Amino acid sequence: MKAEQRANSSSMSLQNPSLLNTTQSSISGALKECLGSLDGACIEKLLLHFASALESKDVTSAQQVMWVLNNVASSIGDPNQRLASWFLKALISRASMVCPTTISFDGRGVLQRRPMTVTELAGYVDLIPWHRFGFCASNSAIFKATQGFPRVHILDFSITHCMQWPTLIDALAKRSEGPPSLRISVPSWRPPVPPLLNVSNEEVCQRLTNFAKFKDVPFEINVIEVPQISPMDASIQQLGSSNHYDLLLSQLNPSTLKLRDDEALVINCQNWLRYMPDELTGSTLHGTSCRDAFLDTIKDLSPCIVMVVDEDCDLGTSSLASRITTCFNYLWIPFDAFETFLPKNSPQRTEYEADIGHKIENIIGFEDIQRIERMESGTKLSKRMANRGFQSVLFCEETVKEVKILLDEHASGWGMKKDDDMLVLTWKGHNSIYATAWVPCSFGVEY
Amino acid sequence: MPDPDAEVIALSPKTLLATNRFVCEICNKGFQRDQNLQLHRRGHNLPWKLKQRSGKEPKKRVYVCPELSCVHHDPSRALGDLTGIKKHFCRKHGEKKWKCEKCSKKYAVQSDWKAHLKICGTKEYKCDCGTLFSRRDSFITHRAFCDALAEESAKTRTAIAPPCADKEPNIQAVESSPSLPLPAVAPPPQAPAPPVPPSTGVVSSVLTVQNPELVESSNPSPTTPQILEESVTLASTVTSLTTSFSSASSSSSSGSTSSNAFASLFASSTASGSLQSQTTGFTNLFQVMARPEQTANVAPSSSAEPVSLCLATNHGSSIFGTAGQERRQYASALQPAAMSATALLQKAAEMGAAASNASLLRGLGFVSSSSPSSGLQEWSGRQIEPEGPPLAAGLGLGLTCDGGSSLKELMLGTPSVFGPKHTTLDLLGLGMAASGGQTGGLSALMTSINNGLDVAAAFGGGEFGGKEME
Repeated sequence: MKAEQRANSSSMSLQNPSLLNTTQSSISGALKECLGSLDGACIEKLLLHFASALESKDVTSAQQVMWVLNNVASSIGDPNQRLASWFLKALISRASMVCPTTISFDGRGVLQRRPMTVTELAGYVDLIPWHRFGFCASNSAIFKATQGFPRVHILDFSITHCMQWPTLIDALAKRSEGPPSLRISVPSWRPPVPPLLNVSNEEVCQRLTNFAKFKDVPFEINVIEVPQISPMDASIQQLGSSNHYDLLLSQLNPSTLKLRDDEALVINCQNWLRYMPDELTGSTLHGTSCRDAFLDTIKDLSPCIVMVVDEDCDLGTSSLASRITTCFNYLWIPFDAFETFLPKNSPQRTEYEADIGHKIENIIGFEDIQRIERMESGTKLSKRMANRGFQSVLFCEETVKEVKILLDEHASGWGMKKDDDMLVLTWKGHNSIYATAWVPCSFGVEY
Repeated sequence: MPDPDAEVIALSPKTLLATNRFVCEICNKGFQRDQNLQLHRRGHNLPWKLKQRSGKEPKKRVYVCPELSCVHHDPSRALGDLTGIKKHFCRKHGEKKWKCEKCSKKYAVQSDWKAHLKICGTKEYKCDCGTLFSRRDSFITHRAFCDALAEESAKTRTAIAPPCADKEPNIQAVESSPSLPLPAVAPPPQAPAPPVPPSTGVVSSVLTVQNPELVESSNPSPTTPQILEESVTLASTVTSLTTSFSSASSSSSSGSTSSNAFASLFASSTASGSLQSQTTGFTNLFQVMARPEQTANVAPSSSAEPVSLCLATNHGSSIFGTAGQERRQYASALQPAAMSATALLQKAAEMGAAASNASLLRGLGFVSSSSPSSGLQEWSGRQIEPEGPPLAAGLGLGLTCDGGSSLKELMLGTPSVFGPKHTTLDLLGLGMAASGGQTGGLSALMTSINNGLDVAAAFGGGEFGGKEME
């Protein structure tokens, strides 16, 4: 089966070093299969070879592959070329870190991504359904789960600066029993990833408050202050983001959050869990990972629903080659989607792709705690949730219908499928985003 | 990720274009109506027979596009359902004969055209700021954060404006006020805007021109001027990168096949590797990467025509990847020496063998500097607040960077490799076997390679050896 062959060929070429061997020209030997076609599969192979050349310090091969890649890649070419250019930059960024004392590579990232205004961000999250899918599914599920409650409190863990909430506020305003009193709590710190805003958290909160008032929904928004790490404390700084999470977890308790008995507690994890470190560390209780500790903590808050939406891809592995392959075969989706409806030089497209490039750079260019993009597929996440004592909640027909309507309004390659209790956004049949809903197991037995 | 166990099916163009939209998955017979298809399928007695014969579930099928140039020709990009591949083929490779009169959009598939007619110009949501939306959720989200709403609520709060909403003053106010009029909130922090060099003016405007088809941005918000300035960095960086990539192509065509070919490919015209403005290849790329604040100086004259220089001479017919024939054209646009992809790789191979003097990133513009501050730089810190250069020592590349002399040798080779003029240092490597001392693991490796030893030996202990790919 050609598909199977293709999937295996990359691994073959690496596990079979003789394929890479020739003294004269390692590149032509290794890339025999590619000759004649510089398509996605070939580019992927080139990237893998570049990576392995770096790892084995085979400078000759690295030069050759880089030369070819450089001539193929283009940030304004077709999707394969664009992807290749971001991957190449990420690999070079990685290579450049080998020599810290001699290179003043200003690692400001390959492209200084400018922050957006709030209205630009509003448009950004609707360019493709990448975010809106999750918003729609989650808000619908939240609406259902909180029916009948006079007060609703949402703990919002996401990277999209509250873009999810206007549509929920709008829906709650029209609730048949009247809108609930809505309270949203957001952490003061978020992972340092795009999309970036040019205004403060407070400004966003203010605008949302305005809007809720406009819609006559009693509203309150609080910022969960995550204690700042002193920049002078180098040893703490070494821990990077994981320390932010530990500090955040310390704030997630009923008293700090001022939880009330009469409110429906909703926990919204939108593009969040993948940033939480998953290594077993000694610093957390019972030697659980930060990610698991987070889940334990929120479970203990007795939420009435927990939404988990994330990218449906497994990128937590330490194998660079595996990451390159998986990443290349996953992130082609947004690139392909843009190609179908945006012109080559569209500024929105450029910016969105740059943000994805940022992600690629982290996945490919970094290791250990600095590699913060560690996606976990919906299937794996579901197992994790079950292990931590959650049970899944089915999405009702109405939610499914709403999501379908949403997708109909976007380009025709977008679709949706239902995988057990998971809703999955698909592009041309390929999984991109999953949305799931959970509650703590009612008869929670200790695991 | 595509399912490796899926059966890959390639249907013919004729099958895919057949207007019998409802096709039996078993025998590919087509029907005009779904009811007829269902009746037909019952004739196959599908589930029962399959269970009795094979005892397992029907295999998942994926469909590839027969068009060679198409990205979906590749099994890893196969489409998951029959209707999908038919629609794709028709849309992408079929003639667009259905046209919307209102907006001139063309469609190859009649149902797409009909679906478009239903919504074209029908639902429109208008924000107070004047922006139009065809989708309610985007309208609501925009509205929530729009300045126009902020203005309006400020007015009602201070009870200056009459209760009835008066749209014009809002828009006026939004355009003219330099800061947001929300009483309780301090003006949003503005990032310092770098000065706008005239040379990048053209590109800046390209980036800030709003695509009229994508409605959201016609908001004349007070932050527009700021955006213009902030986008300069982006603009010049993007331009430079574009230029650098495209220049790589133009410079390669002039490269000779001498042993210095490689060096000439990457080195700038000022071969000493100075960081002055370059228009060639990687030097530009790394210069941009290394010194973003200098982007304004980089290739300003080429900023006006990024498109014409670009590598992608793209042709509408393929979504992804290059066309068979187009690929060759593309490759030759890239190198006037008319190299095909095959030739490209072969040339790389030749150069590699010949380039015993060149080093990986020599001439790429890496500049050595006094040793940067120590400590592990958090990746996040780099992104938002540029601090010192990253010092992720030994990350992932299996090197221990304890700053000892062994590393130096490994990385730098011996000083004799570089003349005193060289302000650039190699990334990985070092000048190579040909000159300089042979100490250090990397030099030894290079020697052994040049002496014809099996590269496999190098791989044997490597990270990839025997590691399973997930």
